[in-house]
Amino acid sequence: MSEITNNITKILALIKYSTRKILFKKRIIIAFLILLTVIAVMGYAGAQDTDRLTTGSDLLGMLVVWFFMPAISMIYGCSVIRDEIEDKSITQVITSPINKIYAYLSYYISLTICLCLMNIVIITLGFISFFAQKGIDGQAISIYTTFLGLVILGVFVYSSLFLLTSVVFKRPIYFGLFFVFIWEGSIGTIPGSIQKFSINFYLRSIGSEQLEYIIINQATDIPTSLIIILSSIVIMIILGSIIFNRKEFP
Amino acid sequence: MNNIKIKTVDLSKWYGKIIGLNSFNLEISSGITGLVGPNGSGKSTFFKLAIGSLKPKTGQILVLDQNPWMNQKLLSNIGFCPDYDNLSDEATGKEFLDLVGGLHGLKGTSLKTRINEVSEIVGMKDELYRKIGGYSKGMRQRIKIAGSILHNPKLLLLDEPLSGADPNVRKSLINLIKSLNENLGHDIIVSSHVLYEIERMTSKIALIYKGRAIASGEISDIRNLIDEHPHNIIIVGSKIEELAKKLLEKKYTISVGFQDDRKKIKVQVSKPDEFFDNITELITELNCEIEQMYSLDDNLEAVFNYLVER
Repeated sequence: MSEITNNITKILALIKYSTRKILFKKRIIIAFLILLTVIAVMGYAGAQDTDRLTTGSDLLGMLVVWFFMPAISMIYGCSVIRDEIEDKSITQVITSPINKIYAYLSYYISLTICLCLMNIVIITLGFISFFAQKGIDGQAISIYTTFLGLVILGVFVYSSLFLLTSVVFKRPIYFGLFFVFIWEGSIGTIPGSIQKFSINFYLRSIGSEQLEYIIINQATDIPTSLIIILSSIVIMIILGSIIFNRKEFP
Repeated sequence: MNNIKIKTVDLSKWYGKIIGLNSFNLEISSGITGLVGPNGSGKSTFFKLAIGSLKPKTGQILVLDQNPWMNQKLLSNIGFCPDYDNLSDEATGKEFLDLVGGLHGLKGTSLKTRINEVSEIVGMKDELYRKIGGYSKGMRQRIKIAGSILHNPKLLLLDEPLSGADPNVRKSLINLIKSLNENLGHDIIVSSHVLYEIERMTSKIALIYKGRAIASGEISDIRNLIDEHPHNIIIVGSKIEELAKKLLEKKYTISVGFQDDRKKIKVQVSKPDEFFDNITELITELNCEIEQMYSLDDNLEAVFNYLVER
């Protein structure tokens, strides 16, 4: 029992430290700029004469779920462990008696906590800046909750991917840029079976079952999409933690 | 009880074409041990292998009788202070120690008490709530040492703890390291490329050069080693030319060279004991006035130079 308590203490200490480090680094300015962009674009669109539900849904999807959320997950996911390796502050973790698998999990938890916080704020304020002008009713709330769910699910899966790349590659940001802007951004959205190799496709499939405003060809059903996404998360976390555990730190 | 804290057998580690350690054999027992070698000799590689952040290519390393690679539990008995700056400028000293303590399973009152104790030991109690970014070099070293002793480890590994510190800070860090052993009972392995600093902390050293342990033991033993080999002595004074001639007749003299207006000679001898037994007699016989006589090989630096060039 004391061994479990001991491990929990170590995990919590690392989560606390890492979360604070992510939130209070200068990089947080990027999240603020994204937030301002989303508020400005959605606020402006809200002032125009457009179809309330279609436009609101399109904007939340295109701006937040399909673009900013993967981008911000990439920026933070690729750097959270890699930065510590580069500036050597990881020394404290690798020279402590915390199992490195638990340490990796702690980094993942900190990353998802921070990214969820950032994305929830962004999508909520974006939603308010548009729908507050057009009227918030049950349909609008349904759009909001659907995209909120997609964003949170997206954060979990993208975090697991980019955290993995940060322990595999020395310059994970290059892979991240390729993945978010080329793979997910274009290949992942073109019709045909190739799109099934993107995360974007499964998030859109889930969303399209919930909202008629999300249109996708050859969508898979929710259980299949969820199974694929959740198993991807588990596989990538296991893979990342094994690599981190066996990694040398020269 | 086994007194050996670290034992390596034919330990090798290389990075691509660069050799970190090469068939490294060493045994380190309790107390303070100085690890001495020039930059790039393999001291940091040795420490990284000892804490398990590197995996040996060949050979074996045992720390407190255990293999450190992928053995995180062992780290509860080891404190490590790296030679590089691993501190986050944005954090305060207290936050850094909170993290270190938490990672060792300390929490609540016991963590708070321990942080107070170690900050007192390293003289950082009044600086704990300041951002590390504003710390001086000496303060950064102190907070790193505080982090390494926070969990009260059996074995403390200090990699170049004095590097970059000014003379006053060096002096106080040397005193701190000695007191960690004398008063708190930590076994310490401390590295430096400056021999006299190590000499001020301990008489037990291991010399590392180009990834090999070239000698280890008490400084006096290492001096005995050198006494069996050529020794360089400087003599300054009058009638020095006559003394040089006489010295050249002696079997123990290898060479005599003049320096600085022929008032100074450098004598290389094969048997320093015989030389020193004889020299007073020669000086009296020739009626020389000797201003200075000193051995170039009398300090640790010379011992090191001799051994690495052997």
